[in-house]
Amino acid sequence: MLSVERLSVTFETARGPLRAVDDVSFSLAPGRTVALVGESGCGKSVTSLAIMGLLPESARIGGGLTFEGRDLLALSPRERRKLAGGTLAMVFQEPMTSLNPAFTAGEQVAEALRVHEGLDHPTALKRAIEMLDRVRIPEPARRAAQYPHQLSGGMRQRVMIAMALACKPKLLIADEPTTALDVTVQAQILSLLAELKRETGTAILLVTHDLGVVADHADEVVVMYAGRVAETAPVEALFARPEHPYAIGLMGAAPRFATPGGRLASIAGTVPDLMAPPPGCRFAPRCPFGDERCAEQPPMAPLGQGHAAACWVAPIA
Amino acid sequence: MTEYALELAGIRRHFPVRDALGRPRGAVRAVDGVSLRVAPGEVLAIVGESGCGKSTLGRLALRLLEPDDGQVQVLGQEWTTLSPRALRAARRDAQMIFQDPFASLDPRMTVAAAIEEPLILHTKLSRAERAKRVAELLARVGLRPETAVRYPHEFSGGQRQRIAIARAIASNPRIVIGDEPVSALDVSVQAQVLNLLMDLIREMELAFILISHDLGVVRHVAGRVAVMYLGRIVEEGPAAEIFAAPAHPYTRALLAAVPGQGHIQAEPIQGEMPSPIAPPSGCRFHTRCPYAVARCSVDSPELLGAAHKVACHLAGELPAAAPFAEAHTGGERLSRLAAHFHREEA
Repeated sequence: MLSVERLSVTFETARGPLRAVDDVSFSLAPGRTVALVGESGCGKSVTSLAIMGLLPESARIGGGLTFEGRDLLALSPRERRKLAGGTLAMVFQEPMTSLNPAFTAGEQVAEALRVHEGLDHPTALKRAIEMLDRVRIPEPARRAAQYPHQLSGGMRQRVMIAMALACKPKLLIADEPTTALDVTVQAQILSLLAELKRETGTAILLVTHDLGVVADHADEVVVMYAGRVAETAPVEALFARPEHPYAIGLMGAAPRFATPGGRLASIAGTVPDLMAPPPGCRFAPRCPFGDERCAEQPPMAPLGQGHAAACWVAPIA
Repeated sequence: MTEYALELAGIRRHFPVRDALGRPRGAVRAVDGVSLRVAPGEVLAIVGESGCGKSTLGRLALRLLEPDDGQVQVLGQEWTTLSPRALRAARRDAQMIFQDPFASLDPRMTVAAAIEEPLILHTKLSRAERAKRVAELLARVGLRPETAVRYPHEFSGGQRQRIAIARAIASNPRIVIGDEPVSALDVSVQAQVLNLLMDLIREMELAFILISHDLGVVRHVAGRVAVMYLGRIVEEGPAAEIFAAPAHPYTRALLAAVPGQGHIQAEPIQGEMPSPIAPPSGCRFHTRCPYAVARCSVDSPELLGAAHKVACHLAGELPAAAPFAEAHTGGERLSRLAAHFHREEA
């Protein structure tokens, strides 16, 4: 349904061109969840914004983006806008910044329904209240009349999800949807997303830094490092047997996945400056497994059953 | 002889709330009668969600905020009644690390000056001795000597947190309170800072209070855990016991909500924490508790028990809880391979 092929995104900055995403490929089938996982600056959010068509015009996009057989990069800005918020919808980390503070929750959901379903105002508002109920907002009619600042973080995220779902999207991009929320509210939102996915068959692209969320919610995982794909795998395979040294380091560094009380993996050094990335494998300067081959960019080495790692050394015993 | 590094007894702090016209409109009952003890070398985690009062409690414990009621004892010394001057001197024993080191480091002070400040305040070291000590501290937290002459904004979040740690341990404190010290950091950087903190706790035999919402981090570092809900402790005990057999319904809900347990929670606990301005009567959790009975909305349960304490009328009568599912799926291979990264560190 969604195919990302050799995607690259370059920003012009005062210091020169910065390639935030470089040669990223993956695909997403209907009803599936793919997680893009990695740390700050790895390019996961830029990738999702490129798919949504929300990058600034100055960003140069290379490679291919195909959604339901349509070449997204060939669409006019108008066609793109029509798609975004319709069959393609997105939920962000901080709903406060994506909700309009001057309109009530109900009006914002209704607006989405008016634009995409051509409903008249009273019908749209009535449907909006149904949508708020559907995302489990208690007392939906009362909440619909409230402004974003009157709602809790969890409630605002539910409004965002209601807006996204109002248009019956085929693909929902969720960029750190629960990162700003408390753990019990996070569980509610994730369970809601899983339920909606089951009912509507929408595919989800889940952008997150949280390996725990990935383990529970993704079908397939794309691990990104410094703008590139380090490893892709079905979720069970990744957690049972991470192959890229960065994925190994990341998992060994996460208290939830490391041995309790033991030493956490400490990846030496810092993420490379994307203005001047190292030649070859971008993880090489920090990698304890590398050898002389790493001076050249490794191709994605297939490891069987949909598992692949961009590493000369993989598979590691 | 002092047995405990830090003892809190019946600590309470309410913040008055006023309406738009400045008329009093009640109070936020941020911390409402908390007692805790921490022994030297012990890591106690205070966990709970936003607004439960855990950060306020941390500040009260060091009198960065004044309690309305209750006692603070540090190394057997009564802190509640110390004069401001005596308190400043006593602070050499108890220090704090915050979530955002950028906010706690003066942007106009070099790193060396920031670390030297507590040495000037709390020691009689000469200028030369202080410079030597600053260099030692920088090395101890894993920063290069040339770092000393630079300013906080020149550093990454992880490095800034190391600077804040160096500053906190400069006066050789016995107690350190970390308020979400690694929450703003990426996983790989968080691991480095956690390793450093755990080393320091061991070497200096620090009593460490970790205030955190991240139960994965808590599971990894804490020896004991106190769970807070709306200003009160609902459960407290050895970390291993709490994670294996959480007794309070809120602790159970909190642990069940942690992602990475291999399944999607079908029925997560509903609702959100009520406002601390008007907390529910009786047990404050009764409005969300799946087990609540009539009594729970009337009587406030006391925190009872020996090593493992629970504040629940139904403690002992509830069905057995599912233990926290550990997520180390990579097993022996992951531990072995991840150990290659430790060698890099050394």
